[in-house]
Amino acid sequence: MNQFSFDSRLKNILIGFMVLGLVCLGITFFVDDELHTRFWTNYLHNSVFFTGIALMSLFIMAAFTTAWSGWHTLVKRIWEAYSLFLIPGLILMLVVIIGIWGHFHHLYHWADAEAVAADPILQGKSSFLNPGWYTFGTLIIVGLWILFAVRIRQLSVDEDANGTTDYDHHRKIRIWSAAFLPLAGFSSAAVIWQWIMSIDAHWYSTLYAWYTGASWFVAAMALTILTIIYLKSRGYLEKVNIEHLHDLGKYMFAFSIFWTYLWFSQYMLIWYANVGEETVYFLERRENYPVLFYGNLILNFVAPFFILMRNDTKRKYGTLVFTSIVVFFGHWWDFFQMIKPGARTTAMEALAHHAGEHGHEMIAHGEMGAHELPFALGYTIPGFLELGTMLGFLALFLFVAFDRLSKASLVPKNDPYLAESLQHHVEIHGEEGAH
Amino acid sequence: MSAVVSPIREPLIEGGKSYRQITEDICSPTESAPNVAWIVAFIISVAALAFYVFCVVWTVWVGIGSWNLNRTIGWGWDITNFVWWIGIGHAGTLISAILLLFRQKWRTGVNRAAEAMTIFAVMCAGQFPLIHMGRLWLGFFIFPYPNTRGPLWVNFNSPLLWDVFAISTYFTVSLLFWYTGLVPDFATLRDRAKGIRKNIYNFLSFGWTGAAKHWQRFESLSLVLAGLATPLVLSVHTIVSFDFATSVIPGWHTTIFPPYFVAGAIFSGFAMVQTLMVITRKVLKLEQYITLGHIESMNKVILVTGTIVGVAYLTELFIAWYSGYIYEQYAFYNRVMGPYYWSYIGMMSCNVLSPQIFWWKKMRRSIFVTFVMSIFVNIGMWFERFVIIATTLARDYLPSSWSYYTPTWVEIGLFVGTLGLFFTLYLIFTRTAPVVAVAEVKAILKSAGDQYLEPNARHAAKVVKEEVETQA
Amino acid sequence: MSKENKDVLYGLYDDEEVLLKAVDQANAGHLEIMDVFSPFPVHGLDPKLGLSESRLHIAGFVFGAIGTLTAFLFMTWVFTRDWPIIFGGKPYWSVPAFIPITFELTVLFASIGMVVTFYTICGMAPGIWNPILDDRITDDKFCIAFDVTGSEEAEKEKLKSFFTASGASEVNTKTI
Repeated sequence: MNQFSFDSRLKNILIGFMVLGLVCLGITFFVDDELHTRFWTNYLHNSVFFTGIALMSLFIMAAFTTAWSGWHTLVKRIWEAYSLFLIPGLILMLVVIIGIWGHFHHLYHWADAEAVAADPILQGKSSFLNPGWYTFGTLIIVGLWILFAVRIRQLSVDEDANGTTDYDHHRKIRIWSAAFLPLAGFSSAAVIWQWIMSIDAHWYSTLYAWYTGASWFVAAMALTILTIIYLKSRGYLEKVNIEHLHDLGKYMFAFSIFWTYLWFSQYMLIWYANVGEETVYFLERRENYPVLFYGNLILNFVAPFFILMRNDTKRKYGTLVFTSIVVFFGHWWDFFQMIKPGARTTAMEALAHHAGEHGHEMIAHGEMGAHELPFALGYTIPGFLELGTMLGFLALFLFVAFDRLSKASLVPKNDPYLAESLQHHVEIHGEEGAH
Repeated sequence: MSAVVSPIREPLIEGGKSYRQITEDICSPTESAPNVAWIVAFIISVAALAFYVFCVVWTVWVGIGSWNLNRTIGWGWDITNFVWWIGIGHAGTLISAILLLFRQKWRTGVNRAAEAMTIFAVMCAGQFPLIHMGRLWLGFFIFPYPNTRGPLWVNFNSPLLWDVFAISTYFTVSLLFWYTGLVPDFATLRDRAKGIRKNIYNFLSFGWTGAAKHWQRFESLSLVLAGLATPLVLSVHTIVSFDFATSVIPGWHTTIFPPYFVAGAIFSGFAMVQTLMVITRKVLKLEQYITLGHIESMNKVILVTGTIVGVAYLTELFIAWYSGYIYEQYAFYNRVMGPYYWSYIGMMSCNVLSPQIFWWKKMRRSIFVTFVMSIFVNIGMWFERFVIIATTLARDYLPSSWSYYTPTWVEIGLFVGTLGLFFTLYLIFTRTAPVVAVAEVKAILKSAGDQYLEPNARHAAKVVKEEVETQA
Repeated sequence: MSKENKDVLYGLYDDEEVLLKAVDQANAGHLEIMDVFSPFPVHGLDPKLGLSESRLHIAGFVFGAIGTLTAFLFMTWVFTRDWPIIFGGKPYWSVPAFIPITFELTVLFASIGMVVTFYTICGMAPGIWNPILDDRITDDKFCIAFDVTGSEEAEKEKLKSFFTASGASEVNTKTI
């Protein structure tokens, strides 16, 4: 079957999960502290995570197109569908923006005018870290990504109907893809700094944007594998064979290692040089959030490395599904540990400020992060409410993706590389024969 | 039966070659006497190499004082050259290993020469850490060996020692990888040769027969070596970057260094491959194996990596400001506006701005532009290392010790001399071994030879028809 | 390799696709192929010849693991038992600083181990002369060889007719 039909049963299941997510968010809101920190961090965490997956899907597609990969042609409709989640992603981020302007949340230390007035470092950054730039940057940059996603999708769908043998559509897709790559390279860093890195407003790391991007990349690969296997189990995508999955598995494996490489580079350099302003970030996480800190490495490096090292585990549905779930959850966990500790500290300071003098005991922990923070569900580790919220966002993501997927044929009929992708099982030796 | 190849792919082997012609075209340069151009080039290279030996002896005899380093600028041309060479030595393994993961078939045309270049470049790079110790004969101190001083071990926590391990491992693995690929081709040369040459090439080919089981193991070996070489090639320049980034010197201690050094290394490596390939394909008449398509693909890699490096430069500048740390901010102000501003301009214009002309297909496919650009990038990447090393050191924490540095003739001589070493080795390589991987090119002939273009495209159309349209 | 001489009957083919079909025919006729030689790896050949998958990568894994352990345990021993020194205020056993060398030695051991294993099991080394049936096998000919030591004439005739039927361009015998 080349035409995916988004049946009502699947819709209902996904809507059910979305309701679950909303309920979880709602409960979080009411059991929360007076600043609703847990609610807002959960919201930001999932919005950023899934918007990033949409960005990376577009990036993967653009990179593969530019590099003449060919083999991915049968899979590309899934990435097109994912990339269109950028539109709801922007809406989700708009809520965060409204929250900044309306002072509904204390996610960002720099958004608190009083805190900035008393803090020369934040003042130094205030021409970048301010609500205006946050709004403008998000709108312009995500807006540009949407422009590329929509345009590439339009060309690709139009190729199905009007594609000719001079492959004019493909030529245009290639131009848009090539132009997107440097754009994504520059702009993703800017939003990552604002959305996530500025939560720990004093801290900085030049590698951070690339590290975050790698995390999104692996998550996007894992979700792609899961979606393909689900669609295959429903009888779609029958031409996507184990060779395609093997390749995607290789990407998941390779980029898990690449993510680890970036993690290590960032951690080791900061650990080694031991500059106080930088070390505080990891010290805080290692001392107060050990489960997050070490769990991150186990989920995202140890598990995929040892499971996917063998060739046959990348060629079996069971191990692929298992690893994809672990890794997808692992990178969600990674974003959790990027966002929660910093936002929690900011909130504690703000709460202490609200509570007056005696509240300062709560923030005795202060800048250096050397003091112990008590265990708190939803911060020290994700709780059930976080898991429910994640499932809700995942369902929303898949709902949008499946809806888009049902609007066009699963097989891009007139793509010049279609035949190569169909014959991918022959390719296996092309790769080995290369050396 | 023909292969299934997309109609929009370019052929990678032109001229309607047969297997026999491939053997003939690639092997024959090793079987005839060298031409005048080669001899002239060889004499110049050997002269430069001789000058190199002279400069090394001079350095050892007179001492490191014959260089213009001072107590503020403790690393100058020596380490700049080291990083430059080691960066160039990254393209070969990238082409062989990483492009394999990305299924880029065009790598078969250039991988042999690029790997050879890698090995020679790493040899040149390895000279500098040794020479800059001053007392060359104590070089073995860098290895951990049982000794009578305790035994007192080397410092395993030092990035300089990591470098020792990284570079020696990289050299060994690249050599094994390259040589294993050469073995079947040496057998081809052996079976064409007579007399003493037959004996020599049999020695070099280890008695290769081409049996099916051997080919199977050979492929398995190549695949695993490629898998190992991929993280290895990343690790080498990463560890070189650690030499700087583990310190607390503003401008050196920045977390983006590892991936940014790797991107820069690939960038400069490809530039050097282009410099060599543009000449080699012409002189050895290999234009049908190293086609304009190959050149264009490599120019695209240069554009991509040049832009990645550009992203990294701007990230560094931005985060220096963002950090709010005045020394960090000054370090970057000094790079752009300080006494060595000209090297920053050289770096930016050669590495980031000028490669942007490769957005135009016409430029990517122009031999002349490619050659000029490859030289530009080589210069730009040298400047990058000079900016990082000398510019940063020239302005340290203590203004009274601020300094300026220009090299002496010895330092320049050492650099020019390693170019002599590099080209001497490369010229010998082009005369003794097949410059293009013969067996590999044969293996892709049916999918990428220009005479198969049309049948393959027809086959592709048929596949689409059978598998998709009949279903709909 | 056995020291005794073998009589080999072999046919040369001009194209790998013809070769693959010939191997199929030989299998169908229950002819026992001694070996197949080619100028480059021919894909789809291994299963037809019944060659099991190479286990070289397992050797690579074992060598790599030895490298990992050697490097890590040695550095641990040096810095915690043999001669502990504090560098830069870091603990004696500073794991992050051991990672680079551990990684490098893993790769080094795995690569050298695999390459040496490869040449050893293939019976290859500098200076070894392995018997070669035809000089053009490393150029453009694909060869199927049968061991006919002590075979009867009728057997040889059967093989020869197989070569003619399957499109061999040349048939020869050689004692190796």
